[in-house]
Amino acid sequence: MKKLIFLAFLGLVFLNTAFAQAQKVSGVVMGDDGLPLIGATVYNKASIKTAAVTDTKGAFSINVPTNAILVVSYIGYKTQEFQLKGESSGVKITLASGNASLSEVVVTALGIKKEKKSLGYAVTEVKGGELTEARSVNIANGLEGKVAGLNISPPATGANGSTRITIRGSGSISQDNQPLIVVDGVPISNDATKLGPIVSWTKGDAQGYDKGDGISQLNPDDIESISVLKGATAAALYGSRASNGAILITSKSAKNGQGIGVELGLNAAMENLLIPNLGYQTEYGHGTGGVKPTTVAQAKAGRFSWGGKYDGTDAMFYDGELRPYVIQDNNYANFYKTGSSITSNVAVTGSTESTRYRLSYSNLNYDGILPTNTTNRNNFSLNLTTNQGKKLTVAVNAKYIAERTHNRPRVLGEGGSTTFAILALPQDIPLSLLREKKYTAAGYENPWNDNLFTINPYYGVEDFKEDDHKNSIIGSIEPKYQFTSWLYAKARFGLNYFNYAQSEIIPYGTSYQLRGGLTQHNRTYNEQNTEFTLGANKNITNDLNFNAIAGANFMKMAVDGNDFVANNTFNIPFFYNVSNIDPVNRNYSTSRYDKRINSVFGTVELSYKSYLYLNGAVRNDWFSTLATGKNSILYPSVGASFVVSEAFKLPTVFNYLKVRGAWAQAGGDTEPYSLALNYNLNGANLGAPIGQINNTTIPNKNLQPLTSTTSEIGVETRMFNDRFNFDFTVYDRQTKNDIVAATVSLGSGYTSALYNVGQISNKGIELLIGGTPIKAGAFNWNTSFNFAYNKSEVVSLYNNLTTLRVDQSRYGTSFVDQIVGKPFGQITGFDYKRDAAGNIVYSAGGIPQKGNLITYGSGVSPYTLGFTNTFTYKRISLSTLIDAKYGGYIYSGSKAFQYRFGLAPETLAGRDGGIIGVGVNEQGTPNTVRATAQDYWGNVHANIATVSVFSSDFIKLRQIILNYQLPTSLLNKISVKSATIGLVARNVAILMKKTGSLDPESNYNSSNAQGLEYGSAPTTRNIGLNLNIKF
Amino acid sequence: MIRKISIITLAAVAFASCTKDFEAINTNPNVPVSVPNDYLLAASQVQLAGSHNPDPKSWRNNIQYAACIMQQMASTDLSAYGGSFYTSTQNGFSAYFEDAYANSIKNEVNLIGLTKEAKDVNINSMARILKVMDMAVMTDMYGDVPYKEAGKGYTDGNFNPAYDTQQSIYTDMLTELEQAGAALSATAYIPTASDYIYSGDIAKWKRAANTLMLRLAMRLQKVDATMAQAWATKALAGGIITSSAENIAIRFEGVAQISSNPNSWTLGPGSRNIAAVNGVQWGKTFIDMMKTRNDPRLPLVAALKNGDATVANQVGLPNGITTNALVTLTPSNLDLYSRPSARMYANNNPWIYMTYAEARLLQAEAIERGWATGTAATVFADGQAAALNQVYGTVKPSVTEIATYAAANAYPVAGTLADKMNAIHTELYLLHAVTLNGVEAWSDWRRTGYPVITPINYVGNETNGTVPRRLKYSPGEFGVNPNVNAAISRQGADLFTTRIWWDKQ
Repeated sequence: MKKLIFLAFLGLVFLNTAFAQAQKVSGVVMGDDGLPLIGATVYNKASIKTAAVTDTKGAFSINVPTNAILVVSYIGYKTQEFQLKGESSGVKITLASGNASLSEVVVTALGIKKEKKSLGYAVTEVKGGELTEARSVNIANGLEGKVAGLNISPPATGANGSTRITIRGSGSISQDNQPLIVVDGVPISNDATKLGPIVSWTKGDAQGYDKGDGISQLNPDDIESISVLKGATAAALYGSRASNGAILITSKSAKNGQGIGVELGLNAAMENLLIPNLGYQTEYGHGTGGVKPTTVAQAKAGRFSWGGKYDGTDAMFYDGELRPYVIQDNNYANFYKTGSSITSNVAVTGSTESTRYRLSYSNLNYDGILPTNTTNRNNFSLNLTTNQGKKLTVAVNAKYIAERTHNRPRVLGEGGSTTFAILALPQDIPLSLLREKKYTAAGYENPWNDNLFTINPYYGVEDFKEDDHKNSIIGSIEPKYQFTSWLYAKARFGLNYFNYAQSEIIPYGTSYQLRGGLTQHNRTYNEQNTEFTLGANKNITNDLNFNAIAGANFMKMAVDGNDFVANNTFNIPFFYNVSNIDPVNRNYSTSRYDKRINSVFGTVELSYKSYLYLNGAVRNDWFSTLATGKNSILYPSVGASFVVSEAFKLPTVFNYLKVRGAWAQAGGDTEPYSLALNYNLNGANLGAPIGQINNTTIPNKNLQPLTSTTSEIGVETRMFNDRFNFDFTVYDRQTKNDIVAATVSLGSGYTSALYNVGQISNKGIELLIGGTPIKAGAFNWNTSFNFAYNKSEVVSLYNNLTTLRVDQSRYGTSFVDQIVGKPFGQITGFDYKRDAAGNIVYSAGGIPQKGNLITYGSGVSPYTLGFTNTFTYKRISLSTLIDAKYGGYIYSGSKAFQYRFGLAPETLAGRDGGIIGVGVNEQGTPNTVRATAQDYWGNVHANIATVSVFSSDFIKLRQIILNYQLPTSLLNKISVKSATIGLVARNVAILMKKTGSLDPESNYNSSNAQGLEYGSAPTTRNIGLNLNIKF
Repeated sequence: MIRKISIITLAAVAFASCTKDFEAINTNPNVPVSVPNDYLLAASQVQLAGSHNPDPKSWRNNIQYAACIMQQMASTDLSAYGGSFYTSTQNGFSAYFEDAYANSIKNEVNLIGLTKEAKDVNINSMARILKVMDMAVMTDMYGDVPYKEAGKGYTDGNFNPAYDTQQSIYTDMLTELEQAGAALSATAYIPTASDYIYSGDIAKWKRAANTLMLRLAMRLQKVDATMAQAWATKALAGGIITSSAENIAIRFEGVAQISSNPNSWTLGPGSRNIAAVNGVQWGKTFIDMMKTRNDPRLPLVAALKNGDATVANQVGLPNGITTNALVTLTPSNLDLYSRPSARMYANNNPWIYMTYAEARLLQAEAIERGWATGTAATVFADGQAAALNQVYGTVKPSVTEIATYAAANAYPVAGTLADKMNAIHTELYLLHAVTLNGVEAWSDWRRTGYPVITPINYVGNETNGTVPRRLKYSPGEFGVNPNVNAAISRQGADLFTTRIWWDKQ
């Protein structure tokens, strides 16, 4: 049935009308800048059926009566009527650029440029300039605070890591909730899991490297604009893959008639610790039981700072030497160094009669704050459009990106994690000692503590080796054939290919792996999209325009993996090569991942008198990942926009007023191979091979596509001569039959199960208020405030289930759960054991005990806001951005660690004489038993999460930009068209936080398990200098 | 023109909706959809031992908790060896629960399900016996645990299995041993290479089932003597294993981790290397006992860090001692304390689940309790002699040494029942130590109270200075599987001190 409706719809698209005949008139259409306008529509006012489109030279030719009135329109320009007076050639029509708000053009789904006023849904566009000015190593982070409803969460994994992006909340409980990233029409992989294991504790197996993602590789200098399609309404044409919205990145291209131009850009930035002090206690040193260490065993005991009071007399250190027992001045800040990044960019643009091109190269050299961490990135970008004859246009986009990273921060506390080791270090162990006594006499790691996994931080950065390189291609070829003035066909062949290779060496002599180890991960990713579209754009009457597109898309995705893992394995010490690995330890595996989505889609838009726009679209997706019969889903969407200010005569304060509404459905599938049970082969013993069940997630052959339904309404206005603007959206997004990999009891034999569960709801508002409060001569003050609130709720789960576990923290006391009736991603954990009155109940030994599992709140902040102010005076501009998030929570594993190991200042109470916890004993009478502080906090750490959960609210001064545009009179003498110099500071200060010395933005990965922290890489403040020159 | 385009577009639509090859595309090319039953039998065995991941079963459960609770071993490392201090450690007390269900038990349950046909009866029976071996440890650690519904997340869609009472688990395990033992057939297909225990010797498997039945039966002595007697009688009547060569043990070739004894992997340089890096020492209780009894196994199983195996130099580390307290002891250097000698952790050592020696010693108890016929002293002596030879490596105590030991530690024929139990279970305690089976030592001790263990009272312990009686459930169950709450309300608070069903006070 659905298919039938769809075919009927397609039929509509090909409604066709006949042509009228008349005399031939030719001419050219230009903008008010004198440049020809390509693709402008020219039609006979008397008969809309007679129309023409200007070619690459702005020329048109139309058959009309000799004294006809021509109507000429072009996006971004005021429509103009032109009275012919008998001319048959040489007609020159100049269009004036239109009213700013009326003519604003944005990039929408499939890369189609549309007037913003025609859209029934919210789209926000960010100009490339904003990203280059406030340069961030990962451009996604540069979007933070800029777009209402866009929630950017950079995990605390260093500058070369990934970023979590969500739009209008998370629609799925455990699947990817990030929007589709499309670069010049080519969807790119932004999925960190495609690079191999992500930072996670999920299966009790720590993975410590954040390998970045797709968007992090792009060069901001090449970006013309970023269009944020907020949700399924805007992204309906992309179907399932954009059910979480889409981010369309459009590359810069050469403008017509520019001739040859050269742009040079140079940016140099430095970075240092945003929070340089951990706020640890400063009174007691390393050791355990309140005793100053006198033996090496005591000195190395358990990483504890439960030793004696600093008294300046000699204490034993791990190297067996006595040294004064005194605190060291901020080991933490001294260990990290000042980081730097230098970006240089050159672009050449040019245009000939038939061809326009832009070719650019940029180079980034990043030197991180973590010693030895570097990234080098080279981006090549080509954008070319050529017209072959009057009807055929071919556009080519190609990007090649080569990125090399050395010693990514290894987070999360497992073996070899330097970021963790420096956090775990007792404050009296001198860095100089760690520096000098890094090795034993044999050249092995000289451990400073008896936990084999917590390393000497210098050993971590200097002896452990991590190297990866990623070579990516993002490319497309787009031939477009214009059959008639109103009908075209277009094909797009898009490719996103990358090869990612990572190798890691655990040095010979490492305490936890004496013979060292070698790991190599290789991933080859290949996604091809073949898309055909047929488009029609026709005025049916003078007032009624018809615009339709129909198309099909074939998506093929394949990932090939090669993994080589060898642990505790080298024969000859310190020689790191595969040949030196014990053959029995050479574990080599290959993997293949294949996925297809076939789609057809169509959309129709009717516009009436340029103030009423109606839009309808359908798309059908077929997924390879679901079983036949359950793998097809059709999504409809409708939208309407009504420009009140054009339809009616409004009071003059209104320059523009529009109301809009949209409704859309989208769906989604799951990962391949999720339907069946499989086995794997795991070596052999005594000549008999070993085979076992491969799945750790229970497969489900009955999976169906999930459905996400979004509706939104909005109003936007500009008032007081465009000095004030306002844009408000209310939306409602419901996901049903979500496919969830939910944690199940290990008693089932599995860690999780995959199934379609009930419903998740996201409702929210987005608000944008802006304006120009002051405009006095050469002085200008622009302000813009955006705010978004997303109220999510897990409406129902599988059967009577009320809780689903998403992830658990490092110490097993805190979790991320989905709970019916609560917002997405609740942080839960064990509270103190309490009596009915809420008093803490202490054990007979005076120790607090594990109580009930309680809910603290969502790990995702529901409130996000950004506030930008730009002051311009003549050639100088100053811009600031403040952003904030409210209402989220975070569990800090680092803080839990600090309690247990006596580093936190809270652990000072009761160091001498013990703690009598305030509360009652098991008998209900007040607790009078004294426990040692070490036992008290040791138990708190092992059993209770409450003390380590914090509100993640923050206000940050995100950036300050000071720009100066050099006088053109001066520049012209040296043949420079323009030059700008800028001072930029990013992550300037945290104006408010509730997490002590922890950055509230310290999630350990970019997955759905938001609100868990452990062993974070520190966040940084960046200060840089920009120089842009155009020749 | 328009028509052509329309046709092309319609063709594209038709093509897009054609998804015939999708099923092939979505078939996982990386792993097979089935493997021979022999492979699965092999996996069930190595996973029972834990060589797929030696940490949870061997290091955490067996060594950090069971062996340390039993004071066979000790450690100053408070952060890992909770059994030595009666404290909780991360991933420690819950290790067996978290590893076994998701690995060995899942595969055992699956294999039992795949081998329902008569031709597969031997693999089916072996899998049933292996599952009993696994589940017996599980329930002995925690008490009420998922049993009937365990490991059936895929086959039955049961994501949150119910916790069965230990009583019902024991009843079923004993029946399983009886039925599986009986079902083993010399005429059906017999796996050989993939049977790491008996290489397909059906008669031995039948005796093994009876031997395991004897152990489980004796476990019930305190809580239900009638049931214990009935099953012990049945086990002995059916015939138990006849020599140490028939020990119920999984043999390993000792090449890679998967083919190595997981205890060796933990103790030795293969992985954790805890014997060499002073992670764990032999406990003072154990070493002192061996010295007092002039046990000839001592120089074979213990050595100082430098390899010195001289009996006089052997010192056991007291339990509950942190590095601070160590300073006050003599010696104060961990290097000078005994730890398992290198022969204890050769990678190809068999992983011992139950020995002939144990079976004979339990048989002696059964005789003493009147549940079996025979002369307890004779059976005891046979068990004792077998136990003395039950050391890893080719070097065994000499005949003279064994005779001297037997004379000095003879069965107290004239003594009280308590004396006899002490004699039997002290032998078992030492036997379990030298076979690195802390798990069984702890269970046997909980039932009998022998040998007498003096609890430690480390400041901050969770048991009020008493020897733990069980381990706590996995924290991951809370908030996920509501059935754990029912188990707790039935069994008692989820504490180290709560006694499980067969451990009646």
